Amino acid sequence: MLLTIFYGFSIGAILYFISIGLSLTFGTMRVINFAHTLTYSIGVYVLITCIPLMKGNFFPAAIMAILAVIPISYVIERFVIRRLYGESLDYTFIATFAITLMGVDTIKWVWGVNPLPLSAPLGTYIEFWGMTFPVYRIIIFAIAIVLFLALELFFRKTILGKIVVAALEDKDGVRCLGVRVDKYFSLMFILGSALAALGGVLYAPISAVHPYMGLSVLLLAFAVVIVGGMGNLRGTFISAFSLGMVMAITARYWSQGAETMVFIVMAIVLIFRPIDI
Amino acid sequence: MDPTSMRIAEPSPDQDFSPPRGRTGMEILIIGAGFLILMPLISIHRVTDFMIFCIFALSFDLLYGYMGRLSFGHLLYLGTGAYVYGLLIKYFQVNVFLAILSGMLAAGLLGMLLGLIMVRTTGACFSLMALAFNQIGFFLVLSPLKHITNGEDGFGAHARNIGFLNFNSKVTMFILTLLVLLVVFYFLKRLTTSPYGILVRSIKEDENRVRFLGYNTYFYKWVTFVTASLIAGLAGTLTALNYRFVNPNVMDVHQNVGVVFACLIGGAGNLYGAIIGGVAYMMISNYLAIYIHRWEMFLGISLLIIVFKFRKGIWGNIQNIGEYFQRPKEARPAEEKRA
Repeated sequence: MLLTIFYGFSIGAILYFISIGLSLTFGTMRVINFAHTLTYSIGVYVLITCIPLMKGNFFPAAIMAILAVIPISYVIERFVIRRLYGESLDYTFIATFAITLMGVDTIKWVWGVNPLPLSAPLGTYIEFWGMTFPVYRIIIFAIAIVLFLALELFFRKTILGKIVVAALEDKDGVRCLGVRVDKYFSLMFILGSALAALGGVLYAPISAVHPYMGLSVLLLAFAVVIVGGMGNLRGTFISAFSLGMVMAITARYWSQGAETMVFIVMAIVLIFRPIDI
Repeated sequence: MDPTSMRIAEPSPDQDFSPPRGRTGMEILIIGAGFLILMPLISIHRVTDFMIFCIFALSFDLLYGYMGRLSFGHLLYLGTGAYVYGLLIKYFQVNVFLAILSGMLAAGLLGMLLGLIMVRTTGACFSLMALAFNQIGFFLVLSPLKHITNGEDGFGAHARNIGFLNFNSKVTMFILTLLVLLVVFYFLKRLTTSPYGILVRSIKEDENRVRFLGYNTYFYKWVTFVTASLIAGLAGTLTALNYRFVNPNVMDVHQNVGVVFACLIGGAGNLYGAIIGGVAYMMISNYLAIYIHRWEMFLGISLLIIVFKFRKGIWGNIQNIGEYFQRPKEARPAEEKRA
């Protein structure tokens, strides 16, 4: 059971990485960013390409993958998302879905349709209280905690973070103060995409790699954002870890039902607290 | 003054919104003739396929175009219809029409149940909920119900003949589907031009105001949702009847973009738009896919173009041209100036 809880924490950490960007774009730009899947999967595919170049070293390859996502997400933001400000949500949804379609097709074009193998960079385990914990999952969890603290500091202490938090509350108010919010939004978008790539890079070794891998994860991330509240950063953190726990505990008893359980939880949350966006 | 606002303000309280008598009949004749003309041009089997997709697009349009709820999981109801139909045929060898009816009712029942939750949400939340439910349904038929649905492989459902109706014959299927399409079109035409339909459209425009007028919008939205899922279920049963085969692809989440695309390219919020869009999408996906290998790329680029430049769709543009010529000559320059 302790192992299950531990697995729940590592899944929660991954969900947190992916959903934080979604939550930010939701909250600031009022755009449902379906293209988030794309940055996630592209990160993973770049990682796979980079590992042989780095002579099998995982971590420099991972950093390259995250850096590679930054220009791509900038292009997406500049040419599509920026035109969607103030549009009806349906159109943002369709437009970003269109980007995802194009991106998935590009991935198929470059890397092929078949699933690619990728093994965990650290195969070691540590013994603890008579149970074995994979070190890799411990590292994921540690990164999540560090990232959460860093983001908390960033949003509370730096002027950039403060502008974003203020814009989450009232975009027009911040604009009235003479701040060019669009610039900060585009930075946030890139940050969110890079974090999604980080999530992808960390999650890919313990899941499957194929062109459509992003979609199922994105659905989970949407569930996290809906449960945690749109643009609510701490809510996202808490809901990511609770839903990760739901997944792990369900998987213990009924392995195929894990993802479905998340949606059931989401539906229950929505019944009691409908969200108007 | 803006001419569009004048047009909205004009109707008097007792104005009749329904189209002039005989016009609906004409429209049905035109659609029927259109598909009959299409039949010799492309193979009959394909046209049947097109028409089934059009029925589905019509049901989606009721939800998206008329009520303004973009569902990214409408295939769930189509799949439910197809599976209930297929399972009844496979295990109980029931009468085809009974199976179609039960498939429809099953989709409707599911719509009733999920509608209670879904209808409370709007915009993106609605889309995501629909997507999530579709994913759950897909998962259910794929693995927990594997022993009856045969999982990923699907199962065959061969309908037995009834009297002179041979369901293996392409011609019978064609005529049956055409009749169903026309009936669905007539029904939706009546529904959308009735006071109820006007109310649904007003909910799309501004739900709060409709609520202030004293209507229980929740109920109206729910009824529309159930109607849409019933018709989607009907399309599902026809799909299963036409292919004599059911597999989880009928409710694959990724396929949902097809109907959204069809509805947008045809022009959302119009029954003709749905039919034109349905035919256009099927044409593109059937023929273009042969020539263009990067087919999803094409779909993505055209969706982007539609969202940014071509929102009214094919039918909306045809209407614009029509309106331009119907207007008295003095009014035309003003129109150009405004544009």
